[in-house]
Amino acid sequence: MSSKIERTFAFFLDFPLSSLYPNKQMVENSGVVQGMKLLVCVKQVPDSEKRIAINWEGSWISNKDKPAFRMNRFDEFALEEALLVRDHIHHEQPIWIHAVSVGPPRVNLTLKKAMATGADEGIHILVDDDRYMSPFDTASLIASYAKNKEYDVILTGVMAEDDMHCLVGQFIAEHLGYPFATAVIHQKIMDGRNKISVERAIESGRRECLQLNLPAVLTIQSGINTPRYPSLSNVIRAKDQKIISIDAEKLKAPEKREELISLAYPEPSSKGLFIEGTQKEKAQKLLRILHEKSFI
Amino acid sequence: MKAQIAVIAEHRENRILPATHETLSFAMELGEHLGLDVWILILGNTVEAMAEQLADKIGCHVTGIEGGSLELYNGETYKAAVLEVLKTFDPLYVCMPHTATGFDLAPRLAFDLKASCITSVEKIRAGEGDIRFIRSMFNGKLHAEMAPAATKTVLTILSGAWPLLEIHPKSKGSVHVIKTDFVPVASQTLEIKESERGKLNLGDADVIISAGRGIRNSENRHLLEAFAKIFPKSALGASKGACDLGWFGYQRQIGITGQTVSPKLYIACGISGAVQHISGMKGSKTIIGINSDSDASIFNVADYGIVENLAIFIPALLEEFEST
Repeated sequence: MSSKIERTFAFFLDFPLSSLYPNKQMVENSGVVQGMKLLVCVKQVPDSEKRIAINWEGSWISNKDKPAFRMNRFDEFALEEALLVRDHIHHEQPIWIHAVSVGPPRVNLTLKKAMATGADEGIHILVDDDRYMSPFDTASLIASYAKNKEYDVILTGVMAEDDMHCLVGQFIAEHLGYPFATAVIHQKIMDGRNKISVERAIESGRRECLQLNLPAVLTIQSGINTPRYPSLSNVIRAKDQKIISIDAEKLKAPEKREELISLAYPEPSSKGLFIEGTQKEKAQKLLRILHEKSFI
Repeated sequence: MKAQIAVIAEHRENRILPATHETLSFAMELGEHLGLDVWILILGNTVEAMAEQLADKIGCHVTGIEGGSLELYNGETYKAAVLEVLKTFDPLYVCMPHTATGFDLAPRLAFDLKASCITSVEKIRAGEGDIRFIRSMFNGKLHAEMAPAATKTVLTILSGAWPLLEIHPKSKGSVHVIKTDFVPVASQTLEIKESERGKLNLGDADVIISAGRGIRNSENRHLLEAFAKIFPKSALGASKGACDLGWFGYQRQIGITGQTVSPKLYIACGISGAVQHISGMKGSKTIIGINSDSDASIFNVADYGIVENLAIFIPALLEEFEST
C-alpha cells in the first residue's frame, strides 16, 4: 500500500498503517476515521471497431492477426466513477481503489492503464489460456478473490463490449451476498458511509431511484461521467508498481453453467446492396437512389 | 406437474408491455421444440386485471403475485416473490424481456436456481435433442451459439427479435393470484423519475440522419445537419455511444434505452450497428448505412451500404447535390 493519501496519514499518525490493514480503521485524535476500499472490475476486450476473426475451431476469436486490445469502455466509466468518489471524499477519509481483471498475461496492460488513470493497485487473476469465459466463470473468480477483503463498493461496467451479456457485476454480488444495482447513472455515498443512493437508467429515459446498504455492487451505465486520461504522475507511478498476480486455479473453481458452442459471422441480409465505385461515383449513385425513391 | 416454461410479464401503468408479447412468442416456439407448456407470472401491487387479460388472450395459466412492496421493481423483493412461486412450479426455463428489469432480475434468479443464464437471445436453434440459443457479440459482428450446462435455464429475450404473440386460444387460461408481504432487507426502491429529456419526437420525421461514434468528433455534427437539410422532413438522431460522448443530447438517442423509430428513410452514419441500436430503428422502410468499417454490422440490416469516411464523403455528396 503506498497511496498518496495513506502516506499523508501515516506521516501524521507516525506508525505504519499496514499494521492496521485490512481493518481499515485508523485513529485520528479521539475520533475514528473509517477508510474506504473500492474495487473496480476492468475487462480487456478486442477493439470491436476493428476486424474480429473467429479462430479455426470456432470456439473464440482468433489471435492470429494480433487484434488490438483495450479496456472495455463501460469499465472506463466504472473506473472514473470510483475516482470521482475518491476525489469527493478523500479529504474526509482515506480511500483506496483497486482494479481487478481476469484473463491471460496480456491483461496486465489494461491493469497498468487503470493504475495510470489513478487506481492504487492492480490485481490480475491469471488464467493460462486465451479462451471464452462466461460471465458466471469470471464473476466466480472475482468474488472468490474479493471475499473477506472488505471492499465497500465494487464497481464494473454494465456490460462487456465483447460478449455483451450484462451479468458479471450481478453474479459477483450474488456470490458475496451483497445488494446490487445495475445500469447505474448516478450514485452518492450517504453520510455515515453505510448506504449508497443510486439511480438506474431504465427504459424511455426514466430513472429508478434506490438505496443500497454497503457493501454493494454497482454496474455502471455509459454516459454517467467523462472518463479522464492517465496523468503523467500516475503513469510514472504505475510503471514501477507491481501488479499482484493470482493464479485462477488457486481460487474457487467455478462450476460450468453455460457453454459457448460456436461463433459464426452473421449472414448478411439478402436485400442489402453495397454501392461501389469511386467516392464521386458513390455520391452520384446514392443521390440517384434518393431521387428515384422521391426522398429528395 | 409437467415441467414448464415460465414467462415473467413486464407491465407499466396497468398495461402489458409489447416486450412481454415478444417473449411469449419466443416461449411458445421453445415450447413447441421441447413439448413444454408456457406459464405466465406477473408481479405488482394490483395485477389481477392484467392476469385475467393475459389468460384470456394467450390461453395459458397465469399466476399473479400481489403486494405493496411489488409496486416498484426491487430486485430483492421480486427475486424472493418469484422464487417462492417457482418452488411449487419448478419450471425448466424462466424467460423475460431483456430490459433494465430483465437483466437485473435474471441473474438473481439464475444464481439461486443454480441455472444457466443467457441474455439477449435472438434465435433458437434446435437439433438432435439439443437446444441452442443464438445471441450477438462484438456489436453484432459475430453470432454466438450458446448452450445451457445446467438443468435449468434463465433467459432474457432481445426486444424486436420475435414478433408480438397473437393467438386465438380455444379456451381461457386459469388465473391464480397470491399475496406477498416480503420486505427487502438491503435495498429500497424509492421512486421512478420521469425523463428529463424534453419532448423531441423523432417519430414525426420522414427521414432520420443518425450519427454514431464513427463520425469521430463533435465538429462533424454540422456535416450531418447540412446533409439532413437536403430532405424536406428530416431530423437528426444519434446512437447511445454518440450521446455518451456528449456530441448529441439524449433526447436524440435511438435504440433500446432511447426512442424506437420507423421513418421512411434511415441513414446511419458511423454507426456500427449494435443490436441495442438496431432494435430501435429496424422498422424503417429504407435503411442506408455509411461506415468506414466494411465489417460493421449495420450493413447486415441496410438496404444500401457505402464504405466511406464520412468526413470526406458527406462534403463530396453535398457538392454533388448542389451541382445537379
